[in-house]
Amino acid sequence: MPLPRSAVVVGGNRTPFAKAGGAYAAASNLDLLTAALDGLVARFGLAGRELDEVAAGAVLKHTRDFNLTREAVLSSALAPTTPAVDLQQACGTGLEAVVYIANKIALGQAEVGIGGGVDSASDAPIAVSEGLRRALLAANRAKTLPRRLQALAGIRPSHLAPVAPQVVEPRTGLSMGEHQARTGAAWGISRAAQDELAAVSHHNLAAAWSSGFFDDLVTPYLGVARDTILRPDTSVEKLAALKPVFGDTMTAGNSTALTDGAAAVLLAEQGWAEANGLPALARVVDAQVAAVDHPGGDDLLLAPAHAVARLLARQGMALGDFELYELHEAFASTVLATLKAWESAEFCSTRLGLSTPLGPIDTDRLNITGSSLATGHPFAATGARIVATAAKLLHERGGGARGLVSVCAAGGQGVVAILEAV
Amino acid sequence: MDAEVELLPALPPPGPLLAKALVPSLDRGPTRVPTRTVLVTGVAQDRARLADYDRVCGFALRDRVPPTWLHVLTFGLHVHLLSGAGSTIRLAGAVHVTNRMRLHRPVDAGEILDVSVRVENLRPHKRGALLDMVGEVRVADELVWDGVSTYLAAGAKVPGTPEAVPREEFVPTPPIAIWRLPGNLGRDYRRVSEDPNPIHTSRIAARAVGFARPIAHGMWTHARLLAALDSRLPGAYVVEASFARPLLLPATVGAWWRPEPDGGWRAAVTTADGAKPYLVTRVS
Repeated sequence: MPLPRSAVVVGGNRTPFAKAGGAYAAASNLDLLTAALDGLVARFGLAGRELDEVAAGAVLKHTRDFNLTREAVLSSALAPTTPAVDLQQACGTGLEAVVYIANKIALGQAEVGIGGGVDSASDAPIAVSEGLRRALLAANRAKTLPRRLQALAGIRPSHLAPVAPQVVEPRTGLSMGEHQARTGAAWGISRAAQDELAAVSHHNLAAAWSSGFFDDLVTPYLGVARDTILRPDTSVEKLAALKPVFGDTMTAGNSTALTDGAAAVLLAEQGWAEANGLPALARVVDAQVAAVDHPGGDDLLLAPAHAVARLLARQGMALGDFELYELHEAFASTVLATLKAWESAEFCSTRLGLSTPLGPIDTDRLNITGSSLATGHPFAATGARIVATAAKLLHERGGGARGLVSVCAAGGQGVVAILEAV
Repeated sequence: MDAEVELLPALPPPGPLLAKALVPSLDRGPTRVPTRTVLVTGVAQDRARLADYDRVCGFALRDRVPPTWLHVLTFGLHVHLLSGAGSTIRLAGAVHVTNRMRLHRPVDAGEILDVSVRVENLRPHKRGALLDMVGEVRVADELVWDGVSTYLAAGAKVPGTPEAVPREEFVPTPPIAIWRLPGNLGRDYRRVSEDPNPIHTSRIAARAVGFARPIAHGMWTHARLLAALDSRLPGAYVVEASFARPLLLPATVGAWWRPEPDGGWRAAVTTADGAKPYLVTRVS
């Protein structure tokens, strides 16, 4: 189904990503998102301009940040009359925000907007325990002093310990890593293959930085000019020396690290971009979300495999029709299990309802400027990082080149999209 | 600069100096202030302290630093100049009445600064004397920021016709924002500004100089108001501020800002009803 209008990626901007507890330890989600927006505004001369909408979000969010994106707009150089919305779909947030803006543009509800995301694992909210919270709320409701004291008397010493956020699936009690360890074991993903993928991610990202690829995609922030998790000199041998942290094969080297950072993508209707003298890198062709039944035993992070199947069917495309594949590296094991699933006749038949497997992809076209293992993964920012990178790479390849973007998310969800070079 | 320059190895922490500056000068002669310039070169900005400063004053954490932050960096030199033997005026007893800063270009938190302060323009006032602390911040040889802090030293005697303090025009205006300033604000700002004057943190010290409660640091109020305008300000501007009356903590205050036809701003921190100003500023 052709879209009424073309939404194109004009460009992107992100902060360098930094290991949690590092250079951005004092920066809040609001600070980081503002920095990403201001860099984008500066790059495309949008200071004082009113955009149709900015969509962004964060996964680790303070209650005071209920209007995080709108507040970031007000802190930014954009016109204060630019509306904004907070979206949240776990690690799919950044990509979902891009899709949201692209859809509005395609439907004629907007001409220009920004999709993005931010996360600070350093400045994460710490909550009070459930017991303390209930006691405080009861005391607040109490109308008389004795009743208030009675409510407060319900507080136990054990209630006073603060509660840090956890990346745990509420319905299984398993961390994301523990889930992926089960998936990796079921799919027979070897330690060596994971370490190899991680090493390639670092080497690809390092090469992209060295070649100046990120010069118009990243703006330095708080004295950081490059992603700090990147280890250009890492190797399969060095990665092989690390101890497993999830299951028998997943290590800190082949899993993403907790990261702080923000990313934003400028999108516009194609004619609007031309009329305003802005570049058009790639068109947002289509997008799809999917979810799996992980409490029912499905692999938590393989929802993108389902989403891609539906997206290809709707577009009448094959998995081999892409110049580039950007598969978010939540864990090396996730990428490898997704590739195996697409090659598996049984999975494609029983789970995706396909008579033939989607097939293998050319891994020389996979994450060619590195992905989350090397860059880091500030949850909600990752999708916007990938879209900006993919759009630029596709544009370099010339008109018509297509790219597939895929991001897995907590809750057994996945967001995928197709971009096509303009 | 043909006057004498005193080169210090590092920015002096104002704390110990201020303690000294609390002791009145025993010099009974005519009012004197130092004629030398104090200079510290190669000052690296402390990003952790800047982040804390931004948080306390309401600024977003950016690489471009607020002009009030550069003022804070000069403050130790203000105290240094007005605590030594060359000065009969003590900063601890002086009242900051007006302030004027020019940001010549955006200054990055990573830039290495040369910071200097000198005293200028000692002049009579009906309650004592006025003097200007003139600060300059340079990057290499480029002047990137300068600031003039005018203090009133009550009781100081300077010959001549008393001058009035020029005041920014103020018209009572309904506030745009209402800010609730907590009682511990003085302690928070003391940490980031390193200005330990106890009238901002101690009720006893505040009472000793005639205030019922501790008063907010004027440069906090100034910074908070600039932070409200932050994303609307250009990369270079002049901001002039008049401190109209002490702001006793805790407090609920009003604030407003409005654009001027010339592209600048007028802004003020007022009583909650907007009737009386604590701070009146103009950005141009």
